[in-house]
Amino acid sequence: MTEEEFRRLCDFLYRRTGMVFTEAKRYYVQRRVTDRMTATGATSFPSYFARLRGDLNGELEQFINVFTVNETYFYREDHQLRCLTTDLLMECVRAKPPGEVVRIWSVPCSTGEEPYSIAIWLLENWPQVDAYDIEIVGSDIDTRALEAAREGVFGKRALMRLTPDLVAKYFVPVGPEQWRVLEDLRQSVRFTPVNLVETGETRAHGRFDVIFCRNVLIYFDDASRRLAAENLYENLLPGGYICLGHSESMSRISPLFEVRRYVDAIVYQRPPGGARG
Amino acid sequence: MPLIRRTPDGVQPDRPDAGEALATLTHGTRQKRWAAARALSDAPDAAEALGRALSSEDDPHVREAILTSLLRLRSAASIQAILPHLRSDNASLRTGALDALRAMPDVAGPHLPELLRDADPDVRLLACDLARSLRVADATHLLYGLLEVEREANICAAALDVLAEIGGPEALPVLARCAERFHDHPFLAFSIKVVTERLSAQTPRHRG
Ligand SMILES: C[S@@+](CC[C@H](N)C(=O)[O-])C[C@H]1O[C@@H](n2cnc3c(N)ncnc32)[C@H](O)[C@@H]1O
Repeated sequence: MTEEEFRRLCDFLYRRTGMVFTEAKRYYVQRRVTDRMTATGATSFPSYFARLRGDLNGELEQFINVFTVNETYFYREDHQLRCLTTDLLMECVRAKPPGEVVRIWSVPCSTGEEPYSIAIWLLENWPQVDAYDIEIVGSDIDTRALEAAREGVFGKRALMRLTPDLVAKYFVPVGPEQWRVLEDLRQSVRFTPVNLVETGETRAHGRFDVIFCRNVLIYFDDASRRLAAENLYENLLPGGYICLGHSESMSRISPLFEVRRYVDAIVYQRPPGGARG
Repeated sequence: MPLIRRTPDGVQPDRPDAGEALATLTHGTRQKRWAAARALSDAPDAAEALGRALSSEDDPHVREAILTSLLRLRSAASIQAILPHLRSDNASLRTGALDALRAMPDVAGPHLPELLRDADPDVRLLACDLARSLRVADATHLLYGLLEVEREANICAAALDVLAEIGGPEALPVLARCAERFHDHPFLAFSIKVVTERLSAQTPRHRG
């Protein structure tokens, strides 16, 4: 890959996904492109790039899949989950007519650990869990990760922060050091593809009470972060909350949200009231 | 189990094409204007229209979407579309414009010299702030130049603030001259003293 080809490829990836790869990541990029070229039988970079741009045989999806970083695990930053049950949900349901569904979105959800964690946490820690219908949706741009999420089979590393009791209660062993999420629980989370920087795709998911958008904005530049944040604003009900990863801050991305400091976490809120809705 | 799974309500994605978006950008509901602004984020020719729409848009959410699209276009035209809003009477629009320029240091950087010389003191003030984030190689020298001639004490103070972070010992003579010009201005004199001390303390490191 020449300098110019590398730049064009990164620009292409950036325009499609928001993810930024600089010269420092050249090796990372190069290796993945080489893999895709081998898999597709492309003999030169220009011929591969043409195939990619033309999205021949769904190459765009495969291409994006190899560039994502899917690192995640159960009960990651669980102080936010605590905040969800001690503060956020109480505020959300206060304004809700009875019978209305509480909607929670884990985006990106990677291989599913986050939305399943939310489900388990709610069942374990929210006394009102039986009083409301709760819908949990997990979404990601990486279709391979979504497939794994639906499968719901996890190794030891993903489960390291769960107590043995929780593992015994919500999983069944399916192989050496492998556990599968209980069927009921798997059925209760819906997994969908979404590209956070594509408004059409985010909007189609409707509005949520709480959105977890953790550890993805770090891969974006300012412009993509703003696109994603503004899209997600549209996906929040007025008064709804968004939780970011610990190294991410909305204050530096968008002035549209209000910062809310709770005992367990700092979260961002779409201002309540319909005026700006 | 209280956890439920539903199929989506079928919210219709609202993505007008570029032509339609240009037409609805300044008309229609807030929702339509927002969708139009967003749809133009990959229409290079739309920068000028987006810039014009900023002037009349009073919904902060739509305004942000317009600025984000300009940012996403990241072109000379988007800079031209944003620059005039540094003079806006609306403080939140001014800040929004500044934030957008800050996020495109590569294309906004070349405009720093003219902004620091602008006839409007408010623009010069914002430009000082911009210098901090642009990290333009010669930002320090541009700020030295400003300190030599600037008459407004608050603008000098803003420049000093930035120089305290990015300046070097070569600023010392400039600071001394500025202190002389503003000798009857206790607050500024104090700021200059603080920055002078900080930059002098750097001297050995720079020499070594
Ligand atoms: C590190 S994981 C985060 C998973 C989980 N939220 C967590 O904090 O553990 C990052 C995920 O972001 C996804 N991603 C990257 N760009 C995206 C985009 N434009 N839209 C949606 N998901 C994206 C990747 O596929 C990857 O699965």
